[in-house]
Parts: sequence; structure tokens; C-alpha cells
Amino acid sequence: MDYALQQLLNALAFGAEYSLVALGLAVVFSIMGLVNFAHGEIIGVSAYSVFLAAALGLTSPFVAVLLAVGMAALAAVVFERVAFRPVRYAPTTTGLLTAFGVSIVVQNLFMLLISPKPQSVSILNGLNQMWFFGPFAVSSLQVMELIVSGLTILALVLFLNRSTLGLAIRAASRDFATVRLMGIKANRVIATAFAISGALAGIAAVFILARRGSVSPDLGFGLVLKAFVACVIGGFGSLPGAAVGGMLLGFIEVGLLVALPQEYAGFRDALTYAIIVALLVYRPEGLLGQRIELGDKEI
Amino acid sequence: MTGSELSQAVDQMAAPTGAKRSSNALVRSLIGGLVTALPVLVIGLLVLNFAPTYYTFLALGAFVNLIVVVGLQVFMGNSNIANLGHSAFVGLGAYGVAILSTPLAMKKLSIPNAPFGFATLELDPVSSAIIALAVVGIVALVSGKVISRLSGVAATIVSLALLIIVHSVFLNWTDLFKGNQAFFGIPKVVGLPWMLVFAVLAIVLARLFKDSRWGLQLRASAQSPQAAAALGIDAKKLRLMSWVLSALICGLAGVLFAYFAGTISPKLFYFQMIFNTLAMLILGGMATVTGAVTGVIVLSIGLEFIRSIESGVTVVGIQMPQLLGLSGVALGVVIVLCMAFRPSGISGRHELDELVSLLLRRNAK
Repeated sequence: MDYALQQLLNALAFGAEYSLVALGLAVVFSIMGLVNFAHGEIIGVSAYSVFLAAALGLTSPFVAVLLAVGMAALAAVVFERVAFRPVRYAPTTTGLLTAFGVSIVVQNLFMLLISPKPQSVSILNGLNQMWFFGPFAVSSLQVMELIVSGLTILALVLFLNRSTLGLAIRAASRDFATVRLMGIKANRVIATAFAISGALAGIAAVFILARRGSVSPDLGFGLVLKAFVACVIGGFGSLPGAAVGGMLLGFIEVGLLVALPQEYAGFRDALTYAIIVALLVYRPEGLLGQRIELGDKEI
Repeated sequence: MTGSELSQAVDQMAAPTGAKRSSNALVRSLIGGLVTALPVLVIGLLVLNFAPTYYTFLALGAFVNLIVVVGLQVFMGNSNIANLGHSAFVGLGAYGVAILSTPLAMKKLSIPNAPFGFATLELDPVSSAIIALAVVGIVALVSGKVISRLSGVAATIVSLALLIIVHSVFLNWTDLFKGNQAFFGIPKVVGLPWMLVFAVLAIVLARLFKDSRWGLQLRASAQSPQAAAALGIDAKKLRLMSWVLSALICGLAGVLFAYFAGTISPKLFYFQMIFNTLAMLILGGMATVTGAVTGVIVLSIGLEFIRSIESGVTVVGIQMPQLLGLSGVALGVVIVLCMAFRPSGISGRHELDELVSLLLRRNAK
């Protein structure tokens, strides 16, 4: 019983993290059709800025969390301004390859300017403790991950539904031209979307740092690949799809962790991806994606 | 520009394709392919006759990259879907021949516990290569079934998932693939002459596919899916076809790599190769086979130069520090700048032979 509960919490925590990152990807994709491969490097920038701040003498974990989220949002906005604006109206493949290029540049800059080797960061280790509820021992980090992700998603939903800018973002994902005719600045909508996406990545970065206690140049890359897969299962560009896909991915991973014998543990990633590809055979448009035939009018 | 390929496709489908006409087109595209391969042939022969051993080795590596990039162009250039998983096929080809053709004495050292009797099997290089390519073809057919059904972005992500699946199997199935360690002892049977022959073959094949009615129809459906579907073009089937051909060419590159290097390891066929070859294709221009060739030539030379700086050079008597990651930054910058300022790459829309005949016609006037 204890074990089952523990694994359930595990799956929920993993799923919450994937959902956060996948939502960040989906927010940007739904508006401007950009497949942001550089999302992992936003996580990287956030983690490395905490590392640098700690090296310069920062000791307060609270400030470190604020710094991580702030820097991630800033990095996302800067990436958009520098690299993605020139390809804003270009075909999807062009944007995808640009983002891939940005990701390579930033990863290698970490390597060039800081170090190719992992660097230890201990400032956020305090978040990762064991809490005891009667007979149960749970990791504080996982509980926090679940609660914070839930609150963040709630805040995102409120923002998208209640504020003018949020409404503009949702409308822009349907028909950007009309949104601009209503007097909303395109640059503002896109910058906001990137800032949101960056902030979500920053929150994920805090949890990654607290769990691993170190930074390395490819820190966010693997996570973002998984988040992409989550987006694809959910239906690319759909926000609820990204959240559901992330959770599902978390459950598949933990399920395999439990089911696979120790000597096959290395095949977990391979099997996870294989299961997902198999899912796509039956639903190529994703679980929550709509089947759009060529020439259909949307809505 | 939009719809130009589409109107060609309409022409070709509407006009009664007489035997004479189609054979003319075939000869034209065959000659076109050979013209495109000419610079490669010249460089290859120069290296073969004049270059010192070290440069011959570099050239062999560049030729492998060339075949990979040409293979990548077959899928990406015609279907306009980004493929980030092609090095999985290179790896499958290389490991295929490694497992089949390594001498038994070597196998006792490297993979004594291989399943299915592979530990006691030793085939000659040619039949190993054929079987390895058949395996690549089967994997491509199965993965292509999924990928050809998906929309562009999802297809790219699944190609990436394929890469991770294959890499993770290489790493973890240690009995068969030796895991993280290098797989050594593969017979070194391929030198520069064979490499040249296969490079030219790959280029001609890619060109023939691009100019064939399937290639044309696929390019048309990438430009306007709706109009192409209205003409009765089956885009899924064509995507599958180009995916398999692309995988086979990449697999061939892997086979040749294993046969010239003699030693392979999984990390050779992972993201580093994807970065390199993708940057080459984008820089050269992915719409044409000429673009693939141009990109490989330019970036191979450029990267070699950057690598010499990366490992720490001595400038006017001062030893510069090692700059790990510099070549990665350069590759990324090449991709980003190309996409922003010249998405069609160096060579643009025209093949080399088309450019030459355009120039000749302009001068004749």
C-alpha cells in the first residue's frame, strides 16, 4: 500500500513537471506555430543564472527561486526578439530549424563560457526533504511539485480566461489577423506568450535544480524532448492536450519503472517512446487534437 | 514561385506520358545528377592522388557525411518535413555490418554472449552489407508507416523519438551492441575509391528520385497539400517512399563508415551527427541535391578550420586556451543566420546543371 501510494505520487510529480514544460511549448506553438526546441535552453539559462548567483554569494533560496523564474521569462523574451522575430511569418519547418539552431548555440555557449562538466549547485537542496505523515514518508519536493504545478496551471487558466491580454492570446491562436484588427499589438501578444512560456520553464528549472543539485549544458534538452512527446500525444498546440499528455507520460514512465525488472531498466526511455508512437498509430491527431481534414474551416 | 511544382505535376499527369518523352526526362536527370556529382568526383580524385594520409582520412569522413546529407535531402527536400532522426539509420547500418562481418576471433573478445548465434557467425562484407541494408529498410518501413500519417510537426517529433529509441537500444543491449564501449575489429574493406563510387551513386539516385514523377508529386503536395490531394496525389504513400529511400541511403553511409573506420560507438550516431548534417543541408539549401553537396563541401572545410582553433592554437607565440563548444556555436549560428536571411540556402532553387544551362542560354543571347 505504502509502495503503491509512493509510486502514484511519483507519477503525479513527474507528470506535473512534464505538463509544465509541455504547456510552455503549447502556448507558443498555438499562437505563432513555432516549435520551440530552444525551450530546454530557457531552463538552462534559468539554472545557470542560479548557479552564477550562488557562486557570487547568493544564499537565500527564496531569492534564487525568484531569480530562476525571472531569468527564464527574460531569456524567452530575448530569444524571441533576437532569433524568432525574423522567422515569424515563415513556414513551420523554418521556425523549427531556427529554434533547433538556437538550442545548439546556447548549449555550446554554456560549454564554452562555463564548463562542459556538470557544476554543483546546492542552494535549493533544502527544498528536497522527507516529510512524515504518520506512517508515510514522502518527498517534500514531489508534494511541492504537484501543488505548485496545479496552482500555476490554475493561474494560467484564470489569466487566459479573465484578462484582456489572455483573451487576446487565445484569440490569436485562432486568427491572429483579426486580433490585430481589434487594436492589439502583435508584438505584445507574442512577447507575453513567450514570457509565460519562459516562466513555466523557470518553475520547472527550480524543481530540476532542487532534485539534481547540479547544472550541465544539456540540462533541459532531454526534458524538452519528453515535453514535445507529451504535446504530440495530447494534440499539438492544444493547451489541455499538453497538460493531459504530460500527466500520461509521467504515468507511463513510472508504470514502466515499476513493471520492468532491474536489468532492463535502461530500456525505459525506449519503451516509453515506443508506447507513444504506437498510440499515434491509432490517433495521429493526438488524444485531444481535432481531426482536421484538408480544407476544413476551423471552429 | 508557389505552385510552380504543382503546375508541372498537373502537366505531367495530364499529358500522355509517351515512352520517348519519359526516357528523355530520365536521361536529362541522369546527366543532371552526374553533373552535380562532378565537383565531388574532382575533389575525391585530387585527394586520392595528392593528399597526405591525414587528409585522406578527413576526406573519408566528409564523404560519409555527404552520403548522409544526400539521404537526408531525399526526405526533407521533397516532403519539406524536418527529419531529426536520420542518424538512427546510419547507426543501424554501421552496427548491422559490425555484427555480421566482424571476424570470429574478434567477436570472442567483443561480443562473446551475442544472442541468436551471432557470436559464431561471420559473413563476407558484401552479404553483410546487403543484410544490414535490408534491416534498415524494414525499420524504415515500420517507422515510416507512422511518420507518413502524421502532420509535419508531429512527424518531426516522432523521428526524434525513433533516434532516442535506437540509441537507447544500442546503449543497453550490451550483449549484441557492446553498449557504450567502442565496437572494434570490423574489417576495413572500403577505401576512398569505393567511397567515391557510392557517393556519386547516392547523388544520382537522389536526383533521379527528385525528378521522377513521385518526387515531383511529393514536392507538389508539400507546397499545397490541398491542391495536390485534389489531383489525386497520395501524399502519405509518397512520404513513406521517400522516407524509406532516405533511410536506405543513410544506412549505406553507416555501412561504409563502419567498413572504413573499423571501430564504431553509439555516440557517433547521436545528436552530434544530426547537428552536423542538418547544418550542412540547411546551409547548402535543402530544396536541391546540389544544395546538399555544396553544404557538405563548405561546412566540412569550415568545421575542420574551427576544430583546429577549438583544440587551442598558437597565435604569434601565445598558446590559446582550448575552446570546447566553439564548433557547436558555429554550427548553430550557421543554421540560425541561414534561416533568417536565406532560408533557401546557398544554392537556392536550381540544381547545378540547371544553373549552368541558364548561364549558357543567357550568354548565347
